[in-house]
Amino acid sequence: MSIKQTDASYAMNPHSSTDKRSCAIARLAGIAAVALVTGCAGPAGTIPNPNDPWEGSNRAIYQFNDEFDKGILRPVSELYAFVMPQPVRTCIHNMFMNLGEIWSAINSTLQGRHEDAINTWGRFMLNTTLGVGGCIDVASANGAKRIPNDFGVTLGVWGLSPGPYVVLPFLGASSVRDTVGTAANFTFNQIDVIGSISDVAWRNSIYGVEVVSRREALLDVSKTVDRTALDPYSFIRDAYLQRRNAQVQGNTALVQTLPNYDDDEAVEEDKKALGMESPKQTSKESK
Amino acid sequence: MNRLRRHALFFLAVTVAGIGFSSQALSKVDANAEPTQFVQQVADQALSILKGDPSVKSGDIARINQIVDQYILPYVDFQKTTRLAAGKYWRQATPEQRTALSNAFRTTLVRTYSGALTKVDDGTSFKILPFRGEAGANDVVVRSQVTQMTNAQPIQLDYRLEKTPSGWKIYDINVENVWLIENYRNQFSQQINQNGIDGLIQALNKRNQSN
Repeated sequence: MSIKQTDASYAMNPHSSTDKRSCAIARLAGIAAVALVTGCAGPAGTIPNPNDPWEGSNRAIYQFNDEFDKGILRPVSELYAFVMPQPVRTCIHNMFMNLGEIWSAINSTLQGRHEDAINTWGRFMLNTTLGVGGCIDVASANGAKRIPNDFGVTLGVWGLSPGPYVVLPFLGASSVRDTVGTAANFTFNQIDVIGSISDVAWRNSIYGVEVVSRREALLDVSKTVDRTALDPYSFIRDAYLQRRNAQVQGNTALVQTLPNYDDDEAVEEDKKALGMESPKQTSKESK
Repeated sequence: MNRLRRHALFFLAVTVAGIGFSSQALSKVDANAEPTQFVQQVADQALSILKGDPSVKSGDIARINQIVDQYILPYVDFQKTTRLAAGKYWRQATPEQRTALSNAFRTTLVRTYSGALTKVDDGTSFKILPFRGEAGANDVVVRSQVTQMTNAQPIQLDYRLEKTPSGWKIYDINVENVWLIENYRNQFSQQINQNGIDGLIQALNKRNQSN
């Protein structure tokens, strides 16, 4: 979307909440055309972010997720945190994380990160036995940190670029690549344990507990984001993209992945020295 | 027998306290040491202060601010952090705006970390991970791992340091693969594009006052 369009939509629609909601509905319904006509763009003055060309609809879904979270998921998780003592919550969380190790290890293998795979299998076996079915994270206590891994990372290691940033309904931050990854994760993760429970009511209850337990573990993080982010949407997006990128690069590549903050300043300086102006500034002046 | 044991305990306590004091007095930070040593010293000093302070545990923000001012910020080039987060807009800012922006951003970050700092307890341990950079470099990354409780995942914390004439200074921090400056750049430019540099300062200050 060009800057001109963004400005125009701002003039027509300076952030009224009802408009935002109808945007959300339009976007959720997938009626991109309607959303465009009713003026759902990114916030005013936003420089189009090359990683996030679908920012308008992403923000709408983000808002929907946020309302769902504030209205249902977070209160339930807080209630859970209130009634369950910390050791019980940690135990339950650890058990879910422990089951997830199987899929993590398989992905480490698919990525050729055999050392990670061996470590993850080791963690799984130690925690399942000595850690009483994963309840106690014995491995972490002994310095073997969990190595989270999933199929989105695998696709990245295989050479797929992430594509545009996507916010998925209910699931939140993702990318085109990671959406494919997520679909695979849902299919294969825990296929062996929870997925094999034949009683539907039981199985769904366990999935429900897992969602609440995962959300509860993130309560502190989301509080921090709420307290410190200027724009939580951007904050979460940029954190997600950074983290996923680092996961694909792997720990060994840390030195290469260092952000180079001085780059665009230098480019800007050079342009000025040559008497050129960046298109961004021109549009700002014409406004 | 009982009295003897009590005596022994008292003696032990005094000795431990003595060692504690002397090591605390010795743990001055050497900004010209190897980067890993420098970070270790800063962290050890801050942790020992935080662990011994009851008002930190009760979440006294004023006290945390004081500790951050005294034991952490002298080793941080905060102006650089803010400058890099503001990117190209920094050169458009007046000196007053630069100071105001640095202060507002600093308060935001202290808020970010004050929550984590209240959770420091006797079980908190800090471990420097092996250094991966080049030996003589002036811009390096020191990696570390913080364990909060015995039965929780350790948190990966990396620091980016620059060698200045007055020794090493930290200017960026990475929590679980997310660099701080990188994560504020888009938010900063977004705000500046909408409302200018003063708008950004205002937005930060407004954020800092709310809960």
